[in-house]
Amino acid sequence: MSCAIAFEHVSHRYLHAVAVDDVSLRVEAGETVALIGPSGCGKSTLLKLAAGLAWPQQGSVIVTDRKLAPDNVLEIRRRIGYVIQSGGLFPHLSAVDNVTLAARFLRKERQWIADRVAELAELVQLPRDALDRYPSNLSGGQRQRVSLMRALMLDPAVLLLDEPLGALDPMVRHGLQEDLRRLFKRLGKSVLLVTHDMAEAAFFSQNIALMREGKVVQRGSYRDLIDAPAEQFVSDFVKAQRGLHAEALDG
Amino acid sequence: MVEYRRCLLGAALTILALVTSPSVLAAKTVIGSKAFTESVILGELAAQLTKEAGYDVEHRRQLGGTRVLWSALVRGDIQCYPEYTGTLRTEIFASQSVRNDDELRALLARESMWTSKPLGFNNTYVLGMRRDRAAELGITRMSQLASHPTLRFGFSNEFMQRGDGWPGIRQHYGLPQQNVVGLSHDLAYRGLAARSLDLTDLYSTDAEIVHYDLTTLVDDREFFPAYDAILVCREDVASAVRESLDRLGGRIDEMTMTKMNARAALDREPESQIAASFLREELGLASDVKVESRSARIWRRTREHLAMVGISLGLAMLVAVPLGIVAFHRRGIGRVVFAIADILQTMPALALLVFLIPWLGIGYAPAIMALFLYSVLPILRNTHTGLADIPRDLRESAEALGLPRIARLRYVELPLAARSMLAGIRTAAVINVGTATLGALIGAGGYGQPILTGIRLDDTKLILEGAVPAAVLALLVQWLFGWIERRWVTAK
Ligand SMILES: Nc1ncnc2c1ncn2[C@@H]1O[C@H](COP(=O)(O)OP(=O)(O)OP(=O)(O)O)[C@@H](O)[C@H]1O
Ligand SMILES: [Mg+2]
Repeated sequence: MSCAIAFEHVSHRYLHAVAVDDVSLRVEAGETVALIGPSGCGKSTLLKLAAGLAWPQQGSVIVTDRKLAPDNVLEIRRRIGYVIQSGGLFPHLSAVDNVTLAARFLRKERQWIADRVAELAELVQLPRDALDRYPSNLSGGQRQRVSLMRALMLDPAVLLLDEPLGALDPMVRHGLQEDLRRLFKRLGKSVLLVTHDMAEAAFFSQNIALMREGKVVQRGSYRDLIDAPAEQFVSDFVKAQRGLHAEALDG
Repeated sequence: MVEYRRCLLGAALTILALVTSPSVLAAKTVIGSKAFTESVILGELAAQLTKEAGYDVEHRRQLGGTRVLWSALVRGDIQCYPEYTGTLRTEIFASQSVRNDDELRALLARESMWTSKPLGFNNTYVLGMRRDRAAELGITRMSQLASHPTLRFGFSNEFMQRGDGWPGIRQHYGLPQQNVVGLSHDLAYRGLAARSLDLTDLYSTDAEIVHYDLTTLVDDREFFPAYDAILVCREDVASAVRESLDRLGGRIDEMTMTKMNARAALDREPESQIAASFLREELGLASDVKVESRSARIWRRTREHLAMVGISLGLAMLVAVPLGIVAFHRRGIGRVVFAIADILQTMPALALLVFLIPWLGIGYAPAIMALFLYSVLPILRNTHTGLADIPRDLRESAEALGLPRIARLRYVELPLAARSMLAGIRTAAVINVGTATLGALIGAGGYGQPILTGIRLDDTKLILEGAVPAAVLALLVQWLFGWIERRWVTAK
């Protein structure tokens, strides 16, 4: 597998808005790409297109070397771990049932499931007792970890993470960032990660894609964005973000 | 999906047919009676005579009005019921303009019906007013009504409709009154007593004429035809039964009938006992009637009521939940389904019941069908709402896990919609407990039976005997669903 995800001239419009406009973007196997841009620029939509939750009106989406189509979408989704923007845990299932739902549906062996849950709990550092609780009885950070476990359960080749650390306070967030980066390295996954925080993007990846109004305006490392901005917007965006996290970015 | 729905509906109707099949009663002779005291007494007389002839018999009392009884007779749900020649002439054979009773008999024979000898009394319609009110206005004859246009008339619902009722009188006598309402016969008496009504229709043998101190107006332009009481039976009734029934011929005159009516209405004597004592005294028959204890009565009605509510609710769930799911996924189908369900819901219960009789007969089947139809909408709507209210991100999460549509429905969407669905089922159940009391009108029994009898006899105790258990049952249902919700679907 050379290429985990490839968007080829993909466009998607909703009833009232063009969310993704002629985007071509590749995520190579084992690579982490951070997707960043102002609110409403189409980041989440791009992730949905990769998981077949939305279908492009133009262009094609290729995941693990196969063109996404209605007849292979279920199978391909099982090779994708997707954490949606708000976590998306099912409130009627306990944490562990959330994590194992797909595996149970696929009739994986009980022992295999139990082992996998234990392994993942350790990986994301979730306390054992949190597994039996319902999502409403978990902290924000624990919920994110459970979402991550659910995404990793079937050992997917590709991870789509939509602001996985979005709603967390800085301390927790910082800890989880560390955990996640370590995890990506260790597992060798291909990751497309959405964030609206330049520091986080730079922390995760040398490979940042900056979006604006449905288009990818520049791809490169954080340094590239600063040193060779493709257009004025890139500089403005970076400058605005820098005001927020000057020391983190320059350090 | 459409196929699937059709199968489900088919299965539901099959179950309905099995559960309610009249074949269970095939061995019995079934006597029907209309929803007023005299008819019930006559029905009881016929039933006891049938039993006397050695046949297994069931008396389905106070089934409703002429239409209901006649269609039940035609369908074979009942084999006999007491009727009046005038009613048959003007209601059932209105288009044939029957001149006399011989012609009527011939017409009935053509319909494969047999009629008994006339029982001996003519129960014609009369118009009645409070004696003091009539005296105050100086009214004694029907033609005088034309000069009192502001009088308030309250007629039984059947009388309001029928050709030989109010529309005919108004034309025949040229009456100008605008203030005319339709209500139950028994409520009309109370309206007269309370002076909220001036005039109502009566039967000439009504016990209430004495009780409420009414005067009856002379039909001076001879509008009302003769209403000789007879028993109408299907021709396939055993000849031994016919012979036995004919023993009543000419034995009941107006006075006898009025007295029997008074015993039931005023002395609250059970109709079965009145009939038994008549047969004992007039025909020398040793007819014994066993009296059901109150707790046995209530228990029987509870079973009847629960059967109606439970079966209809179960069927409604089987149909409405899948239908709600389909309606949610297919907007177009959804709109059609909801339009139909809305129309059904706005149909008055009584109208729906009567509407179903030609198709399903009387008894459990139409009652359950009607309750089923009423239960569909709340369950359907709440299933749909429950699904529509699931946040988009949860829906997408389920999709992103690679679960196929059925699995998403089963593991995610239905559990998330469960609370709303349960609320719909609960609403349907509570509505059903109340509406099922109307089942008594078409012979399905239940708590409505004593309420109906109680209204007919103006007997509060009897009304409470039905109303209190119905209220208790409604509360129990509420409580049960509350418990189920706390136990199983409380959002964690
Ligand atoms: N389901 C939808 N129906 C209609 N329009 C939508 C829908 N989802 C998103 N949009 C629109 O599409 C555009 C892109 O939305 P998208 O969610 O992809 O943005 P985003 O970059 O993820 O924003 P944020 O950072 O706020 O999450 C926006 O203009 C948005 O209003
Ligand atoms: Mg987003």
